[in-house]
Amino acid sequence: MTRSSGLPQPEGPYPPTEEMLAEPVPRDLQRDQAERLRRVWATPKGLRYVTAVNNSEVGKWYCLTALVFMLLAGVMALIIRLQLALPENDLVSADRFNQLFTMHGSAMMFLFAVPMFEAVSILLLPGMLGARDMPFPRLSAFGYWCFLIGGVFVIGSIFFDVAPRAGWFMYPPLATEDEGPGSDIWLLGLSFIEVASIAAAVELIVGTLKCRPPGMRINLMPLYAWYVLVVGGMILFAFPPLIAGDFLFELERSFDWPFFDPTRGGDPMLWQHLFWIFGHPEVYIIFLPSIAIAAMVIPTVARRPIYGYSWIVLSAVGTGFLSFGLWVHHMFTTGLPSISLGFFSAASEAVVIPTGIQIFAFLATLMVGRVKMTLPMLWISGALAIFTMGGLTGVMLALAPFDFQAHDTYFIVAHLHYTLFGGMVFPVIAGVYYFFPFIQKKLLSERLGKWSFWLTFSGFNLCFLPMHLTGLWGMPRRVYTYPSGLGWDWLNLISTVGAFVIAAGFLLFVWDLIRPKHRQPQIPRNPWEAGTLEWSHDIPEEAWGVRSIPHVTSRYPLWDQPEMVARIDAGRYYLPDAEEGRRETLITSVIDAEPVQVQRVTGPTWITLWAAAFTGGAFIFPTFHWYPPAIVCAVLAIGCIIGWLWTSTARPPEADSKDVGLGLRLPTYAAGPASVGWWAMWITMLGDATAFASLVFGFFFYWTASADFPPDGAAHPLALLTLLASLGFVLSWALTIGARRLNRSGRRGAARGCLVLAPLAAAGAATALVASVLHLDPTSHVYPAILWALAIWIAVHAGAGILMQLYCLAGSVFGKLTPRHDADIWNVSLFWHFVTIAALVTCAVLGLMPGAL
Amino acid sequence: MAEHRPDRNEDRHEFSEEQASLFRITFGPLIWALHFLACYGLVAVACAKGADIAMVRILLLLGSVVALGGIGWVGYGAFRQWNVVETGDFVHRRGHAEDRHHFLGHAAFLLSIISAIGVIFVSLPLVMIGGCQ
Repeated sequence: MTRSSGLPQPEGPYPPTEEMLAEPVPRDLQRDQAERLRRVWATPKGLRYVTAVNNSEVGKWYCLTALVFMLLAGVMALIIRLQLALPENDLVSADRFNQLFTMHGSAMMFLFAVPMFEAVSILLLPGMLGARDMPFPRLSAFGYWCFLIGGVFVIGSIFFDVAPRAGWFMYPPLATEDEGPGSDIWLLGLSFIEVASIAAAVELIVGTLKCRPPGMRINLMPLYAWYVLVVGGMILFAFPPLIAGDFLFELERSFDWPFFDPTRGGDPMLWQHLFWIFGHPEVYIIFLPSIAIAAMVIPTVARRPIYGYSWIVLSAVGTGFLSFGLWVHHMFTTGLPSISLGFFSAASEAVVIPTGIQIFAFLATLMVGRVKMTLPMLWISGALAIFTMGGLTGVMLALAPFDFQAHDTYFIVAHLHYTLFGGMVFPVIAGVYYFFPFIQKKLLSERLGKWSFWLTFSGFNLCFLPMHLTGLWGMPRRVYTYPSGLGWDWLNLISTVGAFVIAAGFLLFVWDLIRPKHRQPQIPRNPWEAGTLEWSHDIPEEAWGVRSIPHVTSRYPLWDQPEMVARIDAGRYYLPDAEEGRRETLITSVIDAEPVQVQRVTGPTWITLWAAAFTGGAFIFPTFHWYPPAIVCAVLAIGCIIGWLWTSTARPPEADSKDVGLGLRLPTYAAGPASVGWWAMWITMLGDATAFASLVFGFFFYWTASADFPPDGAAHPLALLTLLASLGFVLSWALTIGARRLNRSGRRGAARGCLVLAPLAAAGAATALVASVLHLDPTSHVYPAILWALAIWIAVHAGAGILMQLYCLAGSVFGKLTPRHDADIWNVSLFWHFVTIAALVTCAVLGLMPGAL
Repeated sequence: MAEHRPDRNEDRHEFSEEQASLFRITFGPLIWALHFLACYGLVAVACAKGADIAMVRILLLLGSVVALGGIGWVGYGAFRQWNVVETGDFVHRRGHAEDRHHFLGHAAFLLSIISAIGVIFVSLPLVMIGGCQ
C-alpha cells in the first residue's frame, strides 16, 4: 500500500445546518469579499481580452465561431441547391460542386455540430453546477484556439479551390488517390480539431464528476450534466478510431504505405469501418446534448420537475451504448455476410427504444404540467416533430433490404437532414433563446423569434420533404447535375425554394442575435422562472461565476430551496472570498458531492495561444509536405505546453488547507485519484487506448479479410528485439512506480535515481522496438506497413513518457515535486500503466503473431 | 429537506458506495456490448475463413443465453438495490444517501431491461438468417 502523503483531511461540520445558513453575513464583509472576488476573476481588457480563459468568454467565442462556420457551410448548401434547381445547370463546375458538398458535410459535422456541443457545455455547465469555472480553464482555451485555427484552415481551402472533394467520409481509394492537397487538408485539419474535441470531453467529464456543488448527489444532477457525461464518454470511444484511421490514411498519402491499397494487400474497407465506428456514434454525440437542452427547457415550461428522471438517464446511457452497434448500417451495400448485416440492423432498430423513451418522458412532463408556451418551447416542439419524422425514416433505413434500394439516393439526404435538423439545429436554437438571458443578460425578440421559427420550419419541410420522393424516384446523391425528363425537375426546384426560405429564417435569427441591445432595460434575473442553479446568475454580469457555492439538496434548488439565491448573494455558502488573490473552485466527491478540496484554477495567459498556434503549425505544414517547419512547430508546441504545466499546475500551495466558509476546512492540494489532474489523465488515456485498439483491430482485420496476410515468404520482425523491447518497457514502468513510492516515503535521492534510469530504459526499449521492424519495407505490402505503424505509435508514446519522467525528475530537483506534493508523478505513473500495456500488446503482435497466424 | 448529521453517519455504513457504483450502472449495457462484439467478430471470422457457420450460430446462441443470464443477474441485484417494493419510490428527488442508492439501483435496473432487449434483438439474425451469403 502507498503511504499517506500526510496532507490534511477535510475538517469541520458538513452538511451545514439550517442555523448556520440562517446566520447573516456582516455587510462590510460581504462588500470586501465581493470586491476581492471581482478583482481576481476580472476579465482582461483591451487587446489582452484574447488571453481570457474564463468559461464564459471561451464558451462565447466557441459558440460564435461555430455559428460562423455553420453559416458558411449553409451558404455552400445554398450554392448546391442553386446548381440543382434546374436540370443541366452550369452554375458551378463538377469539381467545384464536389468541393462544395464535401465541405458542407465536413464543416457542418466537424466545425459546427460537435464543437457546438463543447461550446454550449463549456458555457453553461459551470453555471448549472454552481462552479466558478471548469477545472482546466486553459485547456478549454487551448482547445478553442486549436478549433479556430484548424477550422479557418479547413474551411478557407474552398476559397483557393483546393478544398477536399471526396465526400465528407473520404472513402479510399478516391480520397487516397486524389491529386492536390484537398484530402490532406481534410485529414490534418480535422485531426487537429478532433484533438480539441477530446480535450473538451476530458474537461467536461471531469467538470461534471468533480466540480458539482456540495450536496448535489448523482441523483440530483441536472439532466444536462447526465447527457454531458454520456456524450463525453462517447467522444472518448468514437473519435480515437477516426484518429487512428487518419494516422493510417496520412501515412498512405505522405509515404505511400498501402493501408487501403488492395494491390499491395491493403483494404479500403478498413477505412469504412474505422470511419463509421466514429461516424455513427457521432450522430448521437450531436443529438444527445441537443436533446439535453430540451430536458432543461421542458420542466421550466411545464413548471414541474421532469417526469421520469431515471428513465431519461436510462435513455441517455442506453443510447450511448447502443449507438456503437450501428456503424455497419452505413455499409449495408458493401457485401458483408447477411448475418452480420442482421446484427447491425437489429441493433439499429433497438436504439429506437431508448430514444423513444426520452421523447415520451418529455411528452409526459408536458401533459402533467401547466404548460406556459414560450419561444424556446416553440422551437422544441418543432424539433420533436421533425426529429420524429427523421426517426421513422431511420427505422425504414435500418432494414437492410430497404436500404439496398434507397442507398446513396436523396432519400438518405432527406433522412439525415430530418434527424440532424430535428435532433440538433432546432433544439440548439431553442437553447439559444432559452439561455440567452443567462449568457448575455439580454432577451431576444419574441416577434423575430416567431417569424424565424415559422420560416425555418416551413422552409425546412418544403426543402426536405420532397427529397424523400426525389430519392425514391432514383436521384442519386452527389451528382452535380441531372438530365430533364426523369420527373425530378419540379421536386428539385421546390427543394431549392425551401432552402432559401430556411436561409431567410436563419438571417432573422442571426440578426436578432447580433443586433445592438444596449437600450434594452435590465432583464429579470430568472426570466423563465426555472428551477436549476444557472438562473441564480448575477445581473448585471459578474465574471466570478457564482458569488458563493451553495449546498444543494434538490434537483430544482431554485424552486425547492427558496432562501438559496439570497444566501448565495450574501456569500453565506462556500468559497465566498478570494483572500490569497487566486482563482479557486470547489472539488467534491464523484457520487455524493461531498466537498473534498479547494482547487486552484488558472487565469488569463498568452501561453495557450502560443501553444495552439504551434500545434496548428505542426498539423498544417505537413499538408504541404513542409516537414522541417512542422517539426520546429511541434517542438515549440511541446515547449509551450511544458512551460504552462510547470508554471501553473500542481504547485505546492502556501498553506496545506484553508477555511472555505461555514466552518469547513479543506485541503488545497490533492494527488492521485483524489485530484482532478489524475482523472483527466485517466480519461485521456482511455481515449488513447481506444485509438491503439483500433490499430490492433486493423492488424486483425487484414488477417480476417485477406487470405495472404501475412504474405508467404514475408520478412517478420526480429523476435529477440521485440522481447528486449518488452523487457525495457516493463523496466521503465517499474522504475516509474518505484520512483513514486520512494518519493512518497521521503527517499528523494533514490526516487531521482529511478527517474534517471527510467527514461534510459524507455529509450532503449523504443529503439529496440523500431529496430525490430527496421529491415521491413513498409511500402511493399500492408503487412510490414501495419507493423511499422504499431511500432511508431508506441515509440511516440514512449517519447512522451520520457518527457514526463524527466519533467518529474526536474520537479523533484527544483522543489515542485515533494513527498507531500506528488501529483505529477501519480499522473505520469498512470500514463505509464497505459503505455506499458499498449507496448506489451504491440510486442506480442510483432514478436508472436507471425508464428501464430 | 436538509440533511441532518446523525442520519449521515448511519447511512455511511449502510449506503457507502465507492466510485465503482457509477460504473455499475453500465454493467448491463457492457454485457450487451460484449455479446454484440462476440457475434460480429466470430461471424466475420467464420465467414471469411470458411468455418462451419452452423456451429458458430449455435455457439453464439448459447452465448446469448449466458449474456441474458448475466444481465438478469445484474438486473435482479439492481432491482433489490432500488428496493421499490418497500419504499414505493420511483422519483428519488431528495438529497439523502438512500435516494442516491435507490436511484442508482433504479437506473441500473432499467438499463438491464434495455440491454436484455438489445441482446434478444441482436440474437434474432442468428435464428432467422441461414448463412454467410
